[in-house]
Amino acid sequence: MHESILAFNKRRYLWVSLLISALAIIAYWFNDPQEPANGGTALGYTLGTIGALMILWFTYFGVRKRRYSSTLGTVQGWLSAHVYLGIALIIIVLLHSGFQFGFNVHTLALVLMVLVVASGLYGVVIYIRNPERISENRDGANRSELFDQLDDIDRRSRRVAETLPEEFQELVSTGISRTLLGGTVWARLRGKDQSQVVLKSSNGSEVVANAGQEAALDWLAEQQSRSSDPEAAATIGELSALVRNKRKLLRKLTEDMRLQATIEVWLYAHVPLTAGLLVALSVHIITVFMYW
Amino acid sequence: MKYLIRFITQNPAGGTEHHDKVVDTAAVTIGRATDQILHLRDKRARLQHAEIANKGDGFHISTSALAGVTVNGKSQRDALLSVGDTIEVGANVLRIIEPPPEVDFAFSFELSTEATSEDLAQDWSTAGARVTELSKRKLSWYVVLAVLVLTLLVPAAGLLHPGIASLLRSSILPDDGLWLAGPVHSKHASTSTECENCHTNLFRRVTDEACLECHTATRHVTAPAETVLGERRCASCHLEHNEPPSLVKRHQGLCAGCHADMPDDSPFEDSSDFLDAHPRFKVSLLQPSVVEGEETEWNLQHLILSESRNMDRSNLKFDHAVHLDEEGIVTPDGRRVVECLECHVPEPGGARMKPVAMDENCIACHALTFDADDPDREVPHGDPEGVVQVLIEYYSARLLGDDPDAGSQRIRRPGRALTKEDRDKAAAEARVRALKIAEDLFERRACVNCHDVSETGDEQMPWRVEPVRLTESFFPHANFSHAAHDTEVTSCDGCHSASTSESAHDVLIPGIETCRDCHGSGVTRRNNSNQTASACVMCHSFHFENKGQYP
Repeated sequence: MHESILAFNKRRYLWVSLLISALAIIAYWFNDPQEPANGGTALGYTLGTIGALMILWFTYFGVRKRRYSSTLGTVQGWLSAHVYLGIALIIIVLLHSGFQFGFNVHTLALVLMVLVVASGLYGVVIYIRNPERISENRDGANRSELFDQLDDIDRRSRRVAETLPEEFQELVSTGISRTLLGGTVWARLRGKDQSQVVLKSSNGSEVVANAGQEAALDWLAEQQSRSSDPEAAATIGELSALVRNKRKLLRKLTEDMRLQATIEVWLYAHVPLTAGLLVALSVHIITVFMYW
Repeated sequence: MKYLIRFITQNPAGGTEHHDKVVDTAAVTIGRATDQILHLRDKRARLQHAEIANKGDGFHISTSALAGVTVNGKSQRDALLSVGDTIEVGANVLRIIEPPPEVDFAFSFELSTEATSEDLAQDWSTAGARVTELSKRKLSWYVVLAVLVLTLLVPAAGLLHPGIASLLRSSILPDDGLWLAGPVHSKHASTSTECENCHTNLFRRVTDEACLECHTATRHVTAPAETVLGERRCASCHLEHNEPPSLVKRHQGLCAGCHADMPDDSPFEDSSDFLDAHPRFKVSLLQPSVVEGEETEWNLQHLILSESRNMDRSNLKFDHAVHLDEEGIVTPDGRRVVECLECHVPEPGGARMKPVAMDENCIACHALTFDADDPDREVPHGDPEGVVQVLIEYYSARLLGDDPDAGSQRIRRPGRALTKEDRDKAAAEARVRALKIAEDLFERRACVNCHDVSETGDEQMPWRVEPVRLTESFFPHANFSHAAHDTEVTSCDGCHSASTSESAHDVLIPGIETCRDCHGSGVTRRNNSNQTASACVMCHSFHFENKGQYP
């Protein structure tokens, strides 16, 4: 049975994390430095060193997860520890700071660290929730199969349109070629449908937005109501049914891409922010001792 | 139900071959999943795409797939089938054929070789690709570079030359202010933007020389600094960049290191925390030494406050309760309530109170008049012999002088010069009258109200007013400031409880419990919400080890 990284090994790392946090809080509570609590007291140096080593170890996860032959624990265990101890890190570093903040590189390092952890937590939520949502949405198919289904509908639409006047073929043809899925990160995350279609009317052709195939369906409905030939009207109805199916499929694909994008996109914050954190942390340590 | 499925394949020669398969089942399932009776190898088909079954009125094909199935060229979800119908599922074609005997339903299945090569304008190969072409690695390098340049490289350029440093500090470019570990104390504001004034050597702690550049340290160092400070640095106690800003280490541990456990022969009790480990308060009170029943020398004695509550030996009589009567007391301005501050006037700076003085604080009500006929005349205060002298002179003048106000008291007859006899008689009478008035003043009406007055037996000066022994400072070793305690929650009576004191023997100095209402431990978390953290140096002064300021 699949065990989530949070539940790994009876939540071993949750307990480790709670223990570390509790120890740090107790030490901070009972510590009585002869000056306001800050990173330069004995406890401050201790917590700072622990925090820095934890950050290095967390960063090493990026290496460990690619070491497929490594037998030093499982990647699942590492990730579980990575997540739980990452939360404990915030507590340790806040205590290290003595809750002193300012417009300086030290607080920059803290802010970057909080952002890294926050993006990581977002990632955890996404990793736990979204795969299931993706399966549900795809309903057994994989993405390329969904695209094949889309092709199938498109192909049949063309075939149905062949018996209808030229403007219908134009509608189907431009509707297919101007169906737009994916696009930029934002477009995907917002699940935006930027499809277009060319509508032919007495005053010429016009490119209109066709999100959700609305424009095409409206146009078809209008044509169907105007049609005096019952056979043609039935064919238009069949075409409409196909486009409606296409709309459903497109929604599915858009949702699929949105879910897929959320799974990928948080790492684009997590990883570069980690890189920034490592530098800010180094500058923090260097400058603190430079102006000792 | 028995179904016959005829699989038609094309042979290399171009002809077709077929083989039949009969299945006995309720419905023929069609789909891409391997458990389907008709297994399609077509990605456009769903896992369970459709099924063929008898629905009573005949055999139907039904599907839940969005794309539906195409029956005779028409896309449908459910269709009644009859012989000759064509069903398309993706690229596959099913044809309904006449069922042979003993079979209920038959169809042929032609595996199409048609590729999905029909010209469709869309190429979806990129639509499902990575969310962005931007690489995480490249993005990381940008962030690394930005942080490195902005927080280290640019500010560090200022270390190369003071000119660059001041240029950076005066521009919007990042300077070494970004490295500040905490705010600069306002006392150092004049040098605040120039880190190098104190941080003279990189990667070295701030040196004492840097402090002594501006400071003289006379309070601490009378001998050469190194002999007094020893291993200590200025910064051992005076830390910058703290939040909250503070330049002095106020930690009680600095005192408690020794005072928590004093040697047995020490005059000091153990003390480590004001909240619960502070000695009982001792007050300094002027007390007489008694030698052979006689009170001789008066000295300050440190007495335990709680045991000395009625040991103020000022030789005065005073009833605070009467003076602070809520109904008011009779004053020259009429009956009114008297405020503490009318008599107890703060010294400049407000730390302590000026001593109460008769001439300034009492005389307005307690006038030293002695003759009802002459209400403006008063005897002097503070000089008992002078009082008697003034009275004798006053009455002599009245009896002898030509003061028209003296009236019938005059003994001189008009037009006649005074004889020696007259003078002696007048002097004797004046003295009698003066001593009578003096007796009234000393023993009944004036002096005795406030002072201890005793009889001397001396005819010339029969009274002795005991000298006033006012204690100037009850806590000479504590830095107490009334001004610092002038808050909304404090009142004079709240600490001193004067309104119920009826005797001048009362020592109206608040006890440690009163202080602890607002002052607690130097360790914040030990205090309740009303108590402010109060380390030793809040009240006491710093001194070096073994160089205590106390005897």
